[in-house]
Amino acid sequence: MDAQFAISGRDFVISVTDKGVARSIVKMKHNEDKTWQLSSHTLMSVSGEAGDTANFSEYIQGNVRLYSMRNSQDLSPSELANFIRGELAAALRSRSPSQVNLLVAGYDKGKDEAALYWIDYLSAMAKVPFAAHGYCGYFLYSVMDREYTPEITLEEAKALIKKCFEVLKTRFIVDFANYTIKVVDRNGTHEIRQDEL
Amino acid sequence: MNRFVEQLAANDVAELGMPGSLLAGPTAAMAGPTGHGLSFELAAGNNPAEFAQHFIDAKSEKDSLIKIAHGTTTLAFKFREGVMVATDSRATSGNVIASQTVKKVIEINPYLLGTMAGGAADCSFWERVLGMECRLHELRNKKRISVAAASKLLANLVYRYKGMGLSMGTMVAGWDEKGPGLYYVDSDGQRLANDIFSVGSGSTFAYGVLDSHYRYDMDIEEARDVARRAIYHATHRDAYSGGVVRMYLVQRDGWVPYPLEDVGDLYYQYHPEVQLTNRTESPLTVVPA
Amino acid sequence: MSIMQYNGSAIVAMAGKGCVAIAADKRLGQRALTVDTEFQKVFPITDRTYIGLPGLATDVKTLYDRFRMRVNLYKHNEERTIEPKTFSHLVSHMLYERRFGPYFVEPVVAGLDKNDEPYICGMDLIGCINFAKDFIVGGTASDNLYGMCESLWEPELGPEDLFETISQALLNAVDRDALSGWGAVVHIITPEGVITRDLKGRMD
Repeated sequence: MDAQFAISGRDFVISVTDKGVARSIVKMKHNEDKTWQLSSHTLMSVSGEAGDTANFSEYIQGNVRLYSMRNSQDLSPSELANFIRGELAAALRSRSPSQVNLLVAGYDKGKDEAALYWIDYLSAMAKVPFAAHGYCGYFLYSVMDREYTPEITLEEAKALIKKCFEVLKTRFIVDFANYTIKVVDRNGTHEIRQDEL
Repeated sequence: MNRFVEQLAANDVAELGMPGSLLAGPTAAMAGPTGHGLSFELAAGNNPAEFAQHFIDAKSEKDSLIKIAHGTTTLAFKFREGVMVATDSRATSGNVIASQTVKKVIEINPYLLGTMAGGAADCSFWERVLGMECRLHELRNKKRISVAAASKLLANLVYRYKGMGLSMGTMVAGWDEKGPGLYYVDSDGQRLANDIFSVGSGSTFAYGVLDSHYRYDMDIEEARDVARRAIYHATHRDAYSGGVVRMYLVQRDGWVPYPLEDVGDLYYQYHPEVQLTNRTESPLTVVPA
Repeated sequence: MSIMQYNGSAIVAMAGKGCVAIAADKRLGQRALTVDTEFQKVFPITDRTYIGLPGLATDVKTLYDRFRMRVNLYKHNEERTIEPKTFSHLVSHMLYERRFGPYFVEPVVAGLDKNDEPYICGMDLIGCINFAKDFIVGGTASDNLYGMCESLWEPELGPEDLFETISQALLNAVDRDALSGWGAVVHIITPEGVITRDLKGRMD
């Protein structure tokens, strides 16, 4: 049970993941970063089956970086999302499918706009204004539907994320406590602390 | 199937023994502790409940004879002016939308409302029984039953059948000497009092909107808006909720219903920027290939 | 719930007089949860052949990517665009290649052939072609669509009437299906070009 969601505006995406790692009834870790930097302007958040998450993400990250080095060029968020989807779809029908849910948040420097892709463990993909995976979607989609506009600013999006935390805190049985919050925009990727929201 | 019917016909039909019942026998109506004269015939066998489960599809997963309608969004909350109750109106049977105009609010009496989630037959039957019990209470005690007592009556009623496949998640809302009352009662026998409840497959979505916009000191219009939007957002994201928003306000003088609001229209009211029309006003303009 | 119902979809194709139409809903769901309301399920293959892919969303994407590659190769090898009938057999063959581990989609093909004659057909998930002269339906609302099409479709409809007919058939079918809807798109394919329209539908 991870918390994983993201909101995109015209020129930014905020990605949120919880920092907890649990095994059986034990919390193993409270400070895990579940996001992966694929290029200077693209971030991938990952949840799902333990082991699969790191394995698949490392494979993707390695190949994406290799591509960048070979071609002296970064892939755009849409190219990355389609590559990731293709690899996950191929894995799905192989002997070792990866059970991972992904959100690809990026800023497309060519088109000068932000992009957010939702990819589930079956590798269905959709380009969406906001997204969530797992149980937290059942609580947050309505909140995001209610507050979201395509013109949303970074400050408004931060306030919306705060609202989402509030809803998870009051209604979801799991207390996530700590979150990794990262913003992808024109200047690249940077993390913001929870108290900076 | 025929074998099942024959088997039933051949054997004596056992009866559910109610605690404290005075009479027994397949057809004799009996007086339970609460006084309602109800009896249900049960299949002969060691475990009639398990036997019955075989024919009941409580989670819309099996292809059984008795399909329990699932998928609902209902909510109710107390606020300054009283209790607001709102529901969607969709009934589904598998993927098929069986109705978009279901009444999921049951008017128990002019001061009490019950909502419906889970098995439609279970909810309407037991809340009807509850209505009878409330009336009997009035006749016996020369005053109206409290919401607390009414909800407790319902909880006791369904608790007897725990584990036998009843499926209901209901909210009892009303007004009594103590003011507004709101209770949640389900088929597990759980009974809770609180200011806000939402029940059904769309409840998580409704809670999200409700929690972030609810204030106790709202006026009626604000309360209606919150309730309407909570139901609307739930119907938008939950495939098994939809139809119309049905709303009731309970105050000192009892409940009043509000006009129904079609969710289909609400989307385009809330998103005026979406400019689509299905009418072909002009001849189709052909884009050269 | 079957895997064919996991994401939800409704697609219909209709033949008219010198034109064909194909329409689809826009929902992408995970069982009861609606995730996206702008999901593309109908894709252009040539200027006058379209394919609709109702079924599992992951295979919708995978198959469309593969079709695109095969159609481009065809174009390079043959130096002509593929006919709807030829394309349908290509699709059928590609589906049967996975006979023992199928793609979970039931494709619907609609197009005009080189003589401007309408061609529509449907397939099951392992490529059995179902050729029809009137209409083809697919997806979670297919039962409803059969009912709507049986009562609304008539022969020799022009582009204008065909648009009205297919739109009404789709909108009313998805209004009785919990897993599809949330907006719709219609393509009318005529010898002069393709008309695409987004439909206003219920969003619940």
